[in-house]
Order: sequence, then structure tokens, then C-alpha cells
Amino acid sequence: MENLMSVSHLTKSFKENKVLKGISFDVRQGEVLCILGPNGAGKTTTINILTAALGSDGGEIIYKGRPISRQLRPYKQALGIVPQDLALYEELSAEQNLSFFASLYGLHGPELKKAVDQALVFAGLDDRRRDKVKTFSGGMKRRLNIACAIAHRPELVIMDEPTVGIDPQSRNYILDSIKKLRDEGMTVIYTTHYMEEVEVISTRIIIMDHGSIIAEGTKESLKEGIENEKKYTIDIEENGKISHDEFFSVEGVKSVKIEGNTIEITSLKGVENLDRIIALLSNRGEKIKNITSENASLETVFLKLTGRRLRD
Amino acid sequence: MRRFLSIFKMDLTNLFKSPVLVGYNTVFAALIILIMGLLTSGNYADARDAYQYYTVTMLIYGMLNGAMTASNCFMELDIKRPNLRIIYSPAGSFPIYFSKTLASFVFDYVLHVLLLAVFCPLLHVTLGDNPLYFIAMMAPVEFAAAALGTFFCCIFHCEETTSTLLSLTVSVLCILGGTFFSLDGLGPALAFISKLSPVKWLNDAFFTVACDNSLALFWPVFLGAAAVSVLLVLGCRFFFRTEDYL
Repeated sequence: MENLMSVSHLTKSFKENKVLKGISFDVRQGEVLCILGPNGAGKTTTINILTAALGSDGGEIIYKGRPISRQLRPYKQALGIVPQDLALYEELSAEQNLSFFASLYGLHGPELKKAVDQALVFAGLDDRRRDKVKTFSGGMKRRLNIACAIAHRPELVIMDEPTVGIDPQSRNYILDSIKKLRDEGMTVIYTTHYMEEVEVISTRIIIMDHGSIIAEGTKESLKEGIENEKKYTIDIEENGKISHDEFFSVEGVKSVKIEGNTIEITSLKGVENLDRIIALLSNRGEKIKNITSENASLETVFLKLTGRRLRD
Repeated sequence: MRRFLSIFKMDLTNLFKSPVLVGYNTVFAALIILIMGLLTSGNYADARDAYQYYTVTMLIYGMLNGAMTASNCFMELDIKRPNLRIIYSPAGSFPIYFSKTLASFVFDYVLHVLLLAVFCPLLHVTLGDNPLYFIAMMAPVEFAAAALGTFFCCIFHCEETTSTLLSLTVSVLCILGGTFFSLDGLGPALAFISKLSPVKWLNDAFFTVACDNSLALFWPVFLGAAAVSVLLVLGCRFFFRTEDYL
């Protein structure tokens, strides 16, 4: 895929706090690039700089071969932005909101009407077009928030956590819409701290933490490093007799974490050793309440890279 | 230009849809003129003079409070969030603050002129032989007040702080300027302090046009307020930062 945007050595500080520590990445034409990271990782600051609403302290953003600072108006024309907070006029109807925001991108007359109609259909709000936004549910507002960003058919859509605080049904609708945008050839930059969303929509993933990019690649390539591992989570009734070291006598066990009555064991994937782990626990008189086994996920990737869970 | 007009129309619509702002600039202003006129009518030889005095002074008070209309239009949370999209759009940052200033000016000006149109015949208030001078002189003052509100927002980045400071400043200047009661009869010291208040200058200028049919102070006020407006808009341009909206 062709490069649409190149971000290089972006830095930003707020007083003494270094929020971005020289991040660099590319955005390819037609992809859904997910920026994943916990709160405070620097995702929103990155987005604010990409939208040209916030200046950076250092670094450069090249869009279609030219720095955005030298083509600010055409660059902004090519963008569609979904901010984290709902940016809608509550007292106006869905149609009026769309019409106003699309007109800011130079649309008018029949062209504007067509764009508004398409955006309403996209958001599934065609039948509520004349209703005031304040009468909408949270999910409907979120969908309209996205529709306002894409009505003018931008080349690059930037979404900053667009599914925060909504019901699963609306979330699925939004994720399907993003896949639809991707299929129509739009490029999407999507920030989130929901791992499941990234699994569903991403073409490529950037993982951020503490203002730096700690990993980048497709979900397959990111998982590759730990694909030969699996994790058992075992809940026991009462723990008091068993220690970490005893598990390492079982073939394939790589790491053990005991927290209260829960034991997490990371093991090599090809080794069938669960029966031996169960036997070990039985021999020590432990009563097993529950066992789960999971393969490598992005959550595991994140945990391995940062030593903490995404939503910690 | 089309984008600017679109934003201006939206800002103006939002203002006219706000019952609080419409009420403040019409019902509240009308009530305060009537109450103050009624309470002080005994102090004047002719009760109509009391209404004449308070229609002019309260109108000036209302015009200066137009600064708060602008700060509300600029930074009120429900407006601020959708305004974020204007920042993201190719419209640029100038329409953000200038459109708010212009919309606040038009809103306040229209309502205040309507108020005069009702009150002048009703209370026998005169605006001079040619009321157009009086109404024309209001325009730059209204605009300067709106620009002041926007300018304060650009500096303090917060509607609450801006409104508190503006309210305090306008009230103090109006008390010193004799808006609620004249300080001229309260001794030479207070009369001197009163003369330092720009509100006193405005009162004098508007009374000169309305009661003396003199245009001696028309151009100084008109051009002075216009110059202040230009300086405040330039100040907005200098101090406005898009990141304050994020």
C-alpha cells in the first residue's frame, strides 16, 4: 500500500511533562491504522497534532509528499475528524448538524443535500433526520458524531475513541461502519483502548505507552513473537501449600504467577502438559475450581511489552 | 466567505435560541428601566424625566453587558464542543472569534433597538430630533463590548472567569459612571471619580444627542469605540490559541 502520511520524530511537552517522545510512523492509503494504548499514553495528543489543531514541539508531518504546514487548508479539507467528546449542536436536528458541518468543507446546494442524505443513511438516522439531537440516545449521538466527520467524503478519517461509553449494539454498528469506510477506500486512523475493537477492524496497529511507540505491525505480526505460548488460568479453593518453583518441574512451563487463589501459567504451545499440572495440584491436595486456557491475544502482547494490562 | 457566513448564521441562530440571553436583553432590561424609573420618579420634576434617564443609562449598561453575550457565545460548553469542528475545518481560526463577536453585536444591537422602539413611545423617551444618530452611536459601542467579551475569553480561556471579571468591571464602571444614580451630587471627590469612568463619558454623549440635540460628542464616541473595537479584534487574533478549545 502507498504511503499517505509520514510522521517523524514528533515531540510534545506540556510544561515539564513529556507527552510525546519523538514518535514516528507511516499511514498507508486505504488502511485502518489503530493506535492502541492505555489512558495517558499520548494517543489524543498525537491525534490533536495530526488534526493540526495542536502544534508540536518538534518533528514533522508529511501528507502526500508535502509538510502539512505548507498546505494547511487542503490538508484540513482532506480530513474528517471524530473527536472524543460529542461535537454536536444539541438544539439542532441531525440534518441541520450535518448540513452545517459539511458546509464548512465548501459543500453547498444539491451537492450538500446529497452528502447529508448519504451521511444520514450511513449513520442509520435517516428516519430521525428532523429530530433534535438532544432527543437521541448516546449511541445515536455517537453515530451522528461520526457521520458529521465523513459527510464531505474525506480522504483520511481520524477517530479518537469514538465508541467510549456506548452500548454493544451501537459499538458493533460503528465498527461495521468503519469496515465499510475502509472498503470504500478511505484511510482511517483510529485510537482506542479496547483491544476487541482493534482485533476486528485494524489493518495495522501501533501500540503506545508513556509517549512512545513500543510496537508496530499487523495483529498477526505482533502476536507472532508470543504465538508459541498459551496461558492457563487456574482457580483453586484455597492456596497455601504450593509454590512457583514446583510448576517449573513440569515440561513446557515458562512462567508462573500466583495471586491469592488464582494461578496463571504461561506454557509452550506444542507441549501437552495440562494433565501434569492438574496432577501436581491434586498431589498437593489443592481443589481446582476452574481452569481456562487462552492463546496469544493483543492483550497478552501488550502485557508482555509493558508489564501491565491495557486498562490498568 | 461562504464558510464565514455559514458560521455567523449558526452563531446568531444559537444566540436567538437562548431564552436566557433573549430574556436578559429584553424583559430584564425593560423591568429594570421600569422599576428604577418608578422608584426615582419622585426625585424629578416630571416623572417622564426619570424614565428618560434610566432608559438611556440602562441601555448603556445593557450595551456593555453585551460583553457577556459574546463570552457565552464563544465559550459556553454546549457551543464550545461543536465549535471544535470549525477549528478542524478549513475555515481557519479567524471565523471562530470574529463570527462570535459579530453575532453577539448583531444580537444585542437588534434587541436593544427593539427595546427602544417599544419604550420611546410608551414612556415618552426622546432620542433627539433625529433618533438615527442615537441609534448609529450605539453600534460601535455594542461592537466594542462584544469584542471585549471575546478578547477576555481569548485571554482567560474560560467563560466563567471571563463572565465574573466582566460583570465586576462593568458593574463598577457603571456605578461610578452614574448609571444607577448620579454621583455628581455626592460631593466633589465622588464627582471627580465619576468623571474618570468611561461609562460617564458614554452617558454624557448619549444624553447630549438625545436631550440637547447636539452632535458634539457623536464622532468622538463613534470613532473612539470603533478604534477600541479594532484593537480588541487584533488582540483576539494575537491571543487566540486553537488548543484552548481542545
